[in-house]
Amino acid sequence: MTSPVLSVKDLRVNFPSEAGSVSAVRGVDFDLYPGRTLGIVGESGSGKSVTSMSIMGLLPDYAKITGSVKFEGRELLGLSDKQMSEIRGNGIGMIFQDPLSALTPVFDIGSQLVEAIQAHRDVGKKQALKEATELLDLVGIPDPHLRLKSFPHEFSGGMRQRVVIAIAIANNPRVLIADEPTTALDVTIQAQILDVIKLAQRETGAATIMITHDMGVVAETADDVMVMYAGRPVERGDVDTIFSQPRMPYTVGLLGSTPRPDVSAEEPLTPIVGSPPVLVDLKQRCQFAPRCPVAQPACSDGEPPLIPLDDTSGHESACLRAPEIRDRKIGGDLMFKPPQLADDVMAGVPRDERPTTLEVRDLRKEFPLTKGALVKRRVGTVKAVDGLTFDIRKGECMAIVGESGCGKTTTLLEVMDLKPEHGAVVLNGKDAAGMSNSERRAARKDIQIVFQDPMSSLNPRLTVREVIAEPLNSLGFDGDVDARINELMGLVGLDSSQLDRFPSHFSGGQRQRIGLARALATNPSVLVLDEPVSALDVSIQAGVINLLEDLKRRLGLSYLFVAHDLSVVRHLSDRLAVMYKGKFVESGPTDEVFENPQADYTKKLLDAIPIPDPEAARRRRDPRPANASPISQK
Amino acid sequence: MTPSKDRNYFKQEPRGEITAHSEVATGDPFSPAEAEQVATLEQMPRGTSRYKLYLRRFFRNKLATIGLIILVFLMLAALFGGFFAKWDYTEPDFLALSEPPSPEHWFGTNDTGNDLYAQTIHGLGRSLTIAIVVSLATLVISAFVGSAAALWGGVAEKAVLAVIHFLLSIPTFLLIALVVADSGGDWKLLIVVLIVFGWMYQARVIWSLALTVREQDYVRAAGYMGVSKLRTIVRHVIPNIGSLLIIQFVFGVVGTVGSETALSFLGLGVKLPDVSLGTLLQGGTAAVQSSPWLFYFPAATLTLLTVSMAFIGDGLRDALDPNSNSGGKA
Amino acid sequence: MTKYLIKKTLGWLLMIFLATNLAYLLAANFLDPRSNYIGRRPPLSAEEINNLLEPYNLSPDTPLVQRWWTWLTNILTKWDWGQSPVGEVVNSEISYRIWVSAQLLLLSTILSILIGVAVGVYTASRQYKTGDRVWQGISIIAMNTHVVVASIAVVWGALKINELTGKKIFYVVGSHSLDVEGFFPKLMDSAQHLVLPTISLVFISYASYHMTQRTLLLDNLDADYVRTARAKGLTRQQAIRKHALRTSIIPVATSVAFSIPGIFTGAVMTERIFGWNGMGQYFIETISKNDVNGAAAVAAFGAAMTAISAVLADVVVVALDPRVRVS
Repeated sequence: MTSPVLSVKDLRVNFPSEAGSVSAVRGVDFDLYPGRTLGIVGESGSGKSVTSMSIMGLLPDYAKITGSVKFEGRELLGLSDKQMSEIRGNGIGMIFQDPLSALTPVFDIGSQLVEAIQAHRDVGKKQALKEATELLDLVGIPDPHLRLKSFPHEFSGGMRQRVVIAIAIANNPRVLIADEPTTALDVTIQAQILDVIKLAQRETGAATIMITHDMGVVAETADDVMVMYAGRPVERGDVDTIFSQPRMPYTVGLLGSTPRPDVSAEEPLTPIVGSPPVLVDLKQRCQFAPRCPVAQPACSDGEPPLIPLDDTSGHESACLRAPEIRDRKIGGDLMFKPPQLADDVMAGVPRDERPTTLEVRDLRKEFPLTKGALVKRRVGTVKAVDGLTFDIRKGECMAIVGESGCGKTTTLLEVMDLKPEHGAVVLNGKDAAGMSNSERRAARKDIQIVFQDPMSSLNPRLTVREVIAEPLNSLGFDGDVDARINELMGLVGLDSSQLDRFPSHFSGGQRQRIGLARALATNPSVLVLDEPVSALDVSIQAGVINLLEDLKRRLGLSYLFVAHDLSVVRHLSDRLAVMYKGKFVESGPTDEVFENPQADYTKKLLDAIPIPDPEAARRRRDPRPANASPISQK
Repeated sequence: MTPSKDRNYFKQEPRGEITAHSEVATGDPFSPAEAEQVATLEQMPRGTSRYKLYLRRFFRNKLATIGLIILVFLMLAALFGGFFAKWDYTEPDFLALSEPPSPEHWFGTNDTGNDLYAQTIHGLGRSLTIAIVVSLATLVISAFVGSAAALWGGVAEKAVLAVIHFLLSIPTFLLIALVVADSGGDWKLLIVVLIVFGWMYQARVIWSLALTVREQDYVRAAGYMGVSKLRTIVRHVIPNIGSLLIIQFVFGVVGTVGSETALSFLGLGVKLPDVSLGTLLQGGTAAVQSSPWLFYFPAATLTLLTVSMAFIGDGLRDALDPNSNSGGKA
Repeated sequence: MTKYLIKKTLGWLLMIFLATNLAYLLAANFLDPRSNYIGRRPPLSAEEINNLLEPYNLSPDTPLVQRWWTWLTNILTKWDWGQSPVGEVVNSEISYRIWVSAQLLLLSTILSILIGVAVGVYTASRQYKTGDRVWQGISIIAMNTHVVVASIAVVWGALKINELTGKKIFYVVGSHSLDVEGFFPKLMDSAQHLVLPTISLVFISYASYHMTQRTLLLDNLDADYVRTARAKGLTRQQAIRKHALRTSIIPVATSVAFSIPGIFTGAVMTERIFGWNGMGQYFIETISKNDVNGAAAVAAFGAAMTAISAVLADVVVVALDPRVRVS
């Protein structure tokens, strides 16, 4: 084998804080070989991004970094910012997560590219511009010579990410680091960007580090995988081995809690209980042990090192019981047991016989496009929602999927407002258009919403009790409010003893549960779910998905569920509508749509989802001509 | 942002399980302030310990601590300093006209024989009273106007902002002067006028902060739970900008002291026989060559007052608002 | 882009119009021009006083709306800002004072911005180091020192320097000397007068720009695009200079308009202390003489200074921010 282009040894990063030193990275080792892609996967707080930033020398001064990072044999740690700047963008290029803010808003993209080129090579402005044009062409920006003078705000997110990639590869780097490069992007754009990165890698021959939390993206892109947990790598191997024979309970759990877009979901997901440790004053033990279903007393005796497993070459695991794990089982038993869901109160009742809880007919929402400074002229209309008709029955989950700007959130808001300008919203047989204000208020008891962001959905200044009591007090509740609150806490799987704590005490998953309890307080028949799990890490997400499924069965709830993540949709929803530019292009039972999509857009969407299974991903990718899509999209 | 765009497009979607530590390592190189906030949240979820943390951060700021000591001293002087005065501030000592500081008149006397110590104590109290009342009132007004504008949105918001921007860009000082000029130096009227023309800047700051609160899902949820807008302001918006309000109050007091003393200096605000620091300053400036002590003592008191409060405000900002770029290392 | 500037300018013109009218109405309500004639020997009857005020459009017998309309049409059609209660013509009173005040105001505003922004940039790049902390302390003191105190301190310092050098380097009273001839001597003389009030105004007003610029620049230091710039091979300092600085100056420029009223207030007091015969002094005179028309003219001047600075700042914004230019 050739020598590694990048070699990281025992990398440790500490940040000072008032509560003590935060050990964000605690001993990362890897070698990166030319032409290979290393996928670093882990949840938030696993230290994957800090690892990449420390390689680039982009961490703030107060970060304490120890260990060794060797690039082409040269030690990078300890270099001055000036010395590092000669390597950044030249030897190592980097692609960032959020393309919307990654480019300087006040410079045109031509000068930002030229700056990247001239930072490392002594070429004239004219030559640099010519190269910039070629780079833009390479990453799939149409009419590159015209777009050089454009400013970042004139580009879409996907286009900006292409520009960022162009900047990263401007000087043919030997190493390309992509830090969650597609997390902020829609799924079809994500597929294109991943293709562009692959193309860029082929053009430059660079070794690539792909940092992501998305098992699907890893499966589609990586040759080797390193799984990180609490600042350390806990398992490493080639992509097929990691996905087919994981030997670390955390990896097994991660895969078990990832919903699959390509298979129908009958079984509930297997969540990992608990949440990752706080990286301050860590005890000397396996950090995963408190959450591990197969932990033994020995696991708390010290941190198990990442050691090679004898039977497969290159496969390493940091688990004392790794030798016992086979096929995600230990001693023949499943390590993570699927939870028991409640009986479905609507089981056996065919759809036709179920009452309709929410009906929407020909819903339209238009926004005027105006122009002019003092007197606004209407120059056009944006049809955000353009004639939607659907109904949801009792005990049923209806999902609307679509990409940014398709109008799905506007649809939700129109439904929740219960005041449609055009079309009808009928809640349990009552048309919202005819409601008086007090009737509308009363109707709110019957329809409630759960939001996406667990950070912002709860007022940090109220205790959990006050949060859950709010709808009861505001919309009226006959009965004992305290008893109801306790009941709700139990319903969402939280302990009533925590009622007097503030939201900051809880983790994201727990907060979503509190938000769910608040929404359920008035015993609504319809719950509107606005991306309820997309802000959660996958191991936590699984628990919330199971809870939603459980509540639906137990209470016979109807869900109007909006999501961009098709895997989650496939897992949770009974019926599915695909939305594009304000219209439903296709709708029907979920499995039917997934297995036999009719509309071209649905096909494109389904084709773009990364599958968390390298073999299935390869199978699917082969017929797809490499690099066909990036240029065609505008 | 065009209305048709789904808002999640602008978010970095999987922000992850947000436990205390997790933000520590999600990508962005975080500031020490963030790290500290993140790390402390876990250990200090509730009341008292949070205040301890605020106190610790505040007293770590040396200037703020010095400011607090000076302010406490000035407050005590304003409240109790009168008991030590040998003369009443209105009572002239005809045997000591324009006398420099002496054991009888600690700060000296002016040309009509008034005891400057008694006057300074009284003036300090007068200036502080005016400033505190005005700042409290403007704080309440601006908190409501600012958050209401943000919460109602639409035409109401536009109208309120237009008024605020208009009042901010015109020379309101002149208008205040016009209104109070003929009032005969009634400090209560002065308070009213300073309130009427003094709420806009704070309202604008509060509005811009309330805008971010408005976008929080819990405010939206309140709407869908049938909570009225007024109640939402009291329950959800104002508690979440509380630390800003405290800081605004402190700087409001500083600003009002400035306006009041300026008006009084020009002979338009507080007028004789009542005294404020501004009227004393007027007398002191006129006599700076012949009786400099008449300038030094009021000027020093005024400067100590405003500067100490500014240091306190700065320290509070550091302590209460970890997102401002000042927390962390020390 | 020109459209943007024209739109902005029109908005500011409207602001001047409204502000001037508001000032007029307040002045007409709260100032009583009759008091100039009360106490005269021989005493004048109320009717006689009103008759005297009538030609100046100040008689309380005329309804306020009518007085206002006359006042407004005279300004709009003849550029005639009216007369004082004793008959001085406002136009001639303010014609030279405007230049006296304008040079003081504009010079101090520009210097405050330049110094404030420069200090802000310097301190932001040395966050929490000694330089930053020292400047932070100085600026808090400067921002919160009363302009009167600052001015007297400046005067005291200047007199000391004059004393030490034995020459009259600084003039502490007036905006110019009367007996100077020739272009360069006049310029020199103006500068000698201008320097002290400018220093006190700059002293009290630079600090807010320092604080704003520092905060904005620090916010931008951690921006994603600065990281991108470093990732492409710029050092931290280069990335800050090229990328963070320019973006952070834009909001500072837009904040200029709101700081003018403050500096104007300061100028009223500095003019008084330094004995400048400018608009600030004039304003105090108009109030003490209950001169409604004169007071309205001062308000118009104050509003116009804000507008001019704001438009100049907008030009800077347009130059710096392509988002304004392009859309």
